[in-house]
Amino acid sequence: MTASWFLPVLLLVAVLGGLRARIDVYEAFVRGAKEGLETVLRISPYLIAILTATALLRETGLMDRITQAATPFLERLGLPGEAVGVVLLRPLSGSAALAAVRDVMQTAGADSRAGRLACVICGASETVFFTSSLYLGAAGVRRSRYAIPAALLAYAAGVAAAALAT
Amino acid sequence: MNAIFCGMLLLGVIYAAWSGQADAAQRALLTGGEEAVALCLSLAGAYAFFGGLLGVTRESGAVAALAAALRRPLMQLFRFRVGEEAALHDICVNMSANMLGMGGAATPAGISAMRRMAEANGAGASASDAMILFLVINTSSVQLLPTTMIALRAQMGAANPADIVLPTLISTCASTVCGVALCLGLRGRGARGG
Repeated sequence: MTASWFLPVLLLVAVLGGLRARIDVYEAFVRGAKEGLETVLRISPYLIAILTATALLRETGLMDRITQAATPFLERLGLPGEAVGVVLLRPLSGSAALAAVRDVMQTAGADSRAGRLACVICGASETVFFTSSLYLGAAGVRRSRYAIPAALLAYAAGVAAAALAT
Repeated sequence: MNAIFCGMLLLGVIYAAWSGQADAAQRALLTGGEEAVALCLSLAGAYAFFGGLLGVTRESGAVAALAAALRRPLMQLFRFRVGEEAALHDICVNMSANMLGMGGAATPAGISAMRRMAEANGAGASASDAMILFLVINTSSVQLLPTTMIALRAQMGAANPADIVLPTLISTCASTVCGVALCLGLRGRGARGG
């Protein structure tokens, strides 16, 4: 509700600021838009790579097998078995994770611990691999050094905190 | 990313061969790219608009006040290399959009910030500490209001759809704090020649 004011207000501030600074707002917008389109062009091969790999894991059912295999291990850490799929899918794909959350609520109930935990995990995190490939790809970075391990550990900390707080 | 990509592809193909699912594998390989191109096309309009908006705010100095206020703490947090502070404007827009849960506006600004920092470091270089910290902050972005989840819970008949707000806030803060701490601790690791 309040968040939907962000864009209109930012736009208003931008245009008024531009008029006050006596710059050519139209030209500035078009230059920026061109840069935006170049960005999309630049990230598209990276998107194709990561989405193809994700689709492969999903369609062959390997993702489900990994989820099954990891369930007893993660259950021992205090995660309800139903929510494990969400935990594993979330870093890869936002839409797949959302579908998994819906699944958990349908089978375990929206107000069950598993259902609430799935929502918390999905709502508190980002698609780590997807976002990383986008950002690193756009920057043309060849070596990402400790970026991915740090991002995944941060995600794991978020999941652990969610399990404790839910 | 290279290891992850190769691992995903090899595991996927080997598993498909082992379980005799050549059809599923082929379908995935053909539709994966299609999915991505469709996504790119849908992103193109939004990114052009946000790029334009960013261009106007950058050139007009419309968010200069905000950027100036955040300059000191951000400079201290990121310890930019020479030239990287050119990304300061985009980082401010990215972070405020993230805080407000405007992921759609945050990502274009974030990518623009990454590009600017990368330009300062020269093409094809490895990621700088500031770039990695920025990436990790974005992958563990602080979500003040999980609106999508609340809507989904309402739709699925939860008694109180918003009862996940506090745990979500705790979880998202824990991941961001942990991510920032890790990055500060790992600063300088794996950098070849500084």
